[in-house]
Amino acid sequence: MPLQKLLKAEWSGLLLVVTLAIILIGYLKPSFLTPFNIQILLAAISVNMVIALAQMLIVGIGQMNLSVGAIGGLVAISFAGLMDVFQLPIPLAVLVGLLIGLAAGLFNGVIIAFTGISAFIITLASLSVFKGINLGITEAQPFYGVAESVKSFGNSSFIGTLPLLILPALLALIGVWFLLNRMRFGRHVLAVGASPTAAGLVGISVRNIVIGTHALSGLLAAVAGMMVVARLQIGQPTIGDDWLILSFAAPVIGGAVLAGGHVNVIGTLLGVTTIAIITQALVLFEIDPFIVQIFLGLLILWAVGINRLRDLRLTLFSKPA
Amino acid sequence: MSQQITLKTSGISKSFPGVQALQNVEIELHAGSIHALLGENGAGKSTLIKILTGVYQPDEGSVKLLGQAVSFSDTKEARRQGIAVVHQERHLIPRFSVGENLFLDRLGEKAWSWVDYPKLHEEAKPWLAAVGLDLDPQTPVKQLSVAKMQLVEIAQAISQKSRVLLMDEPTASLTPHETEKLFSLLQKLKEDGVTIVFVSHKLEEVLQICDYLTVLRDGQNTCTSQPIAQYDRQDLVQLMIGRKEQIPAWQTREVNRQSPKLELRQVSTEAGHQDLNLQLYLGEILGFYGLIGAGRSELAKSLIGYFRMTKGEYLLDGKAIHVSGVSVARDRYAIGYLSEDRKSEGLILQHDVLQNSGITVWRKICSKLGWLSDQQVTNRVSPSIDKLEVKTPSLAQMVGNLSGGNQQKISVAKWLAAQVEILIVDEPSVGIDIKTKAYLHELIRELADQGTSILLITSDMPEIITLADRIIVMDDFAIKGDLPNNRNYEEMSTGIMNLIHS
Repeated sequence: MPLQKLLKAEWSGLLLVVTLAIILIGYLKPSFLTPFNIQILLAAISVNMVIALAQMLIVGIGQMNLSVGAIGGLVAISFAGLMDVFQLPIPLAVLVGLLIGLAAGLFNGVIIAFTGISAFIITLASLSVFKGINLGITEAQPFYGVAESVKSFGNSSFIGTLPLLILPALLALIGVWFLLNRMRFGRHVLAVGASPTAAGLVGISVRNIVIGTHALSGLLAAVAGMMVVARLQIGQPTIGDDWLILSFAAPVIGGAVLAGGHVNVIGTLLGVTTIAIITQALVLFEIDPFIVQIFLGLLILWAVGINRLRDLRLTLFSKPA
Repeated sequence: MSQQITLKTSGISKSFPGVQALQNVEIELHAGSIHALLGENGAGKSTLIKILTGVYQPDEGSVKLLGQAVSFSDTKEARRQGIAVVHQERHLIPRFSVGENLFLDRLGEKAWSWVDYPKLHEEAKPWLAAVGLDLDPQTPVKQLSVAKMQLVEIAQAISQKSRVLLMDEPTASLTPHETEKLFSLLQKLKEDGVTIVFVSHKLEEVLQICDYLTVLRDGQNTCTSQPIAQYDRQDLVQLMIGRKEQIPAWQTREVNRQSPKLELRQVSTEAGHQDLNLQLYLGEILGFYGLIGAGRSELAKSLIGYFRMTKGEYLLDGKAIHVSGVSVARDRYAIGYLSEDRKSEGLILQHDVLQNSGITVWRKICSKLGWLSDQQVTNRVSPSIDKLEVKTPSLAQMVGNLSGGNQQKISVAKWLAAQVEILIVDEPSVGIDIKTKAYLHELIRELADQGTSILLITSDMPEIITLADRIIVMDDFAIKGDLPNNRNYEEMSTGIMNLIHS
């Protein structure tokens, strides 16, 4: 029965592909499955998972958040700067980082909800604003004085090869899964994504849901930004610049409907994993890393195509009960 | 019948910039009754419903619920007070289960509350049973038929202990059988003391199930909460439009049936038709009657190349043709299709009148380089717009801002402009009022008199008997029979029904 359930899950095909890919690459390049490499892989998956979740929530309400990377970057340099320049204790720096992310998300959400202008335009504008603040503060120079324990958090592991970074990622993953599948707020997020009119008619405040979702997205972007600081050991102003494509690719590969109303947390995890494996494999096979971009782009097209096919099949061949 | 008054409005007025939508409107709803709310499009029905459900606030006047003055700041408040609406379109979340849709607004106390699915699905059962739905509450809504989705929405409304249930055109997309089932449910709800407001354009239905009648015309009452028993169909029409319905005493038209304009021989389509034979003659109005889902629209879409024909011969003027796509059907073979769903398939609501009515002629009148001036398009479309008396301030008006009837006229105008020889008209009068409908009928007939062959698809029995020269009855993607129309309503409707149920 559990096996049957597994096979019926939307992401079972993706899981099979990922497993086969791991076996194949491991067979061709034994270095792929060394503890060191696995740790790098898991650390990358952890960070990218949080980034993907930040975008996935917004896809859930049928919108886009182009500013995920800019929020993450702003939080990253603030987090590092507070420790470097003001010697703020770590918990306080983390707290301020989270608050900045939350505020940035709220900023997006409130403007979108009250003006009704498309999230694409609003977050495109706020991306520029957040990035501008980032560059104004840093003058494009990194903050180096990141606290030692933050550095070690980003680069140590437990139980063999598990990076510590996996902990916040797991927490976020489990949290978002329960949010979307078991909590009133999360169900309303998906309801609004599926049909704002229907949700509004039963008395759900579409406006509050939009604002709340953007706030959560900002919060997750903040977590990801600080995770990257821990991993890189410096507060780079460029953190977040390359998140955008990945943040869409993973949820879409995982089965998210871009029009809203349907996202899949486990699928997104597998999407993130797929991307990490491909990136790693290209390095291992000494293929030009710039090709990764092309791969990601093709992967998105492929995933969107698959989703479209599935929808078409459903509408063509399902008979109403 | 118990005569307690659930809801009463007095002196409701509401104006929008430039329009007095409602003026001194009164309505009095009795507990345990079905109350018909009638009026042509634009008469103020929707505005009144929106006031009763908290979407709008009245400028003047009061609403009393069980004797208490109430004012609803929003829809949520109206729902909380027991006033629910079931809209014409379905508003459910397709991927969510039936149970979750039923309780979507009551999933938990707080935003972070846990949703208890086993309990929720258990609690859904009695409400589904109450509307006669025998299905597992865990079924995703997207697997249901439209009729069942509507029942889920009614269950949703009554599960909130609604005292007043407003139903806006509830039978618009139901088959006659489903309609009968809905009516027996409404009867049951009525016996349980629910007040039902029934908005419909189908007067036969109104007379069949309603107890009271309120009619609006131009934002004012022409009938206020009267028992309906004293009225007949003609009275209703007169109350709505202020004159008796013109039953067209049209002559039976002479159609030369020597050689068909369009012919199908043993055609099968990918939509699911098998071995169809069909002839449409020059200047003929050929009616297609059938239940929803009988395959009529699909056949129409096969004729214009939207669905592929997998077998058989398709002839135009006696010559075999192959229609590979919609633009080929229009430009090479002069076949036009007027969609039943004008909002999503027929018109581009955000575009202006000129663009919408000119869309069919762009390719014909543009220069070799693809240049197209507004003046050229205007010259081409103005005659048809004028002819149809489209009420629009200018050709630059956005189509979405026009009334339903005018929108329908523009859909017709664009095919007139394209000078099609065969026009397929699919459910032309869904959602338009009697006056516009009459214009439309005259127009279709006029077109046929001028030599256009018309293929008319409709589920409206009086309409098909008014218009068609010959009636084809379709059921389950097959042609059941072919009746010459003698315009005798009794005879024709019996004949059609016999064919469907043969």
